[in-house]
Amino acid sequence: MMLPSWRSSKEVHMDPLNVPGKLDSLERIAGYIKTAAVEADLDQKSAYRLRLAVDEVVTNIINHGYGRSRTGGMINVRAITDEKSLAIYIEDTAAPFNPLKIERPQNLQASMEERKEGGLGIFLARQNVDEFLYEYEDGRNRNILIMDRKV
Amino acid sequence: MAFNAKLRMIDDGVALITLSGELDGQAAADFKKQVEAAADKKPKRLILLMKDLEYMASAGLRVLIFAKQKMGNDLDMYIVSARDMVLETIKMTGFHHSVILLDEYDAAVLEKL
Repeated sequence: MMLPSWRSSKEVHMDPLNVPGKLDSLERIAGYIKTAAVEADLDQKSAYRLRLAVDEVVTNIINHGYGRSRTGGMINVRAITDEKSLAIYIEDTAAPFNPLKIERPQNLQASMEERKEGGLGIFLARQNVDEFLYEYEDGRNRNILIMDRKV
Repeated sequence: MAFNAKLRMIDDGVALITLSGELDGQAAADFKKQVEAAADKKPKRLILLMKDLEYMASAGLRVLIFAKQKMGNDLDMYIVSARDMVLETIKMTGFHHSVILLDEYDAAVLEKL
């Protein structure tokens, strides 16, 4: 995968995880994120938040990205750590989908009866990481979720 | 830890679901099944005991929405002993407006309508 030039050169790359875009891959992905968080020395809350954000993005890819396709697809997850942060790169080959274009849920204060479900997962993903980037390249959606390492 | 949701009906009208493990997009289906089983009994109160729930994604929140829709707007929903980070997610998404949050399981309060 081509890395943007602004990434620092002192990076540690974990071997990527390549799994089917199915709900039973969620557990493996969570395990990968937990390992990455330990290796980057994230505190417990940051580790939880990062796992949650990744979980939400990946669940969206599975249910919506690949959800309607007959063939499904793979999800590629890669952790890259540098001095300042832990970045998780998530790639899929579903139709282009930019989570940053999704509107924030308008009705967070609304009662459950009024609530619309849409956008909740993406909202949680964006709220729980320090930086959330999106790119589309070579037929792949790339979500980049970044947690700062508080040293 | 593997997710588990266990339903117990207390008297008439009070359903208790005890959650444990990690509630992600895959596990949510199990939770939903228990909610559906509870809904069949037409309870007036749904208690979700989250003492052993280590993690909850938005899929879990969606089951809560489903529970309300299925069991009617009059349903009282209690969330008991939610852990820090689960609570953070509940508050961040505004769900604390729609449920009653309790730190401790007080049977005297919860089990009598």
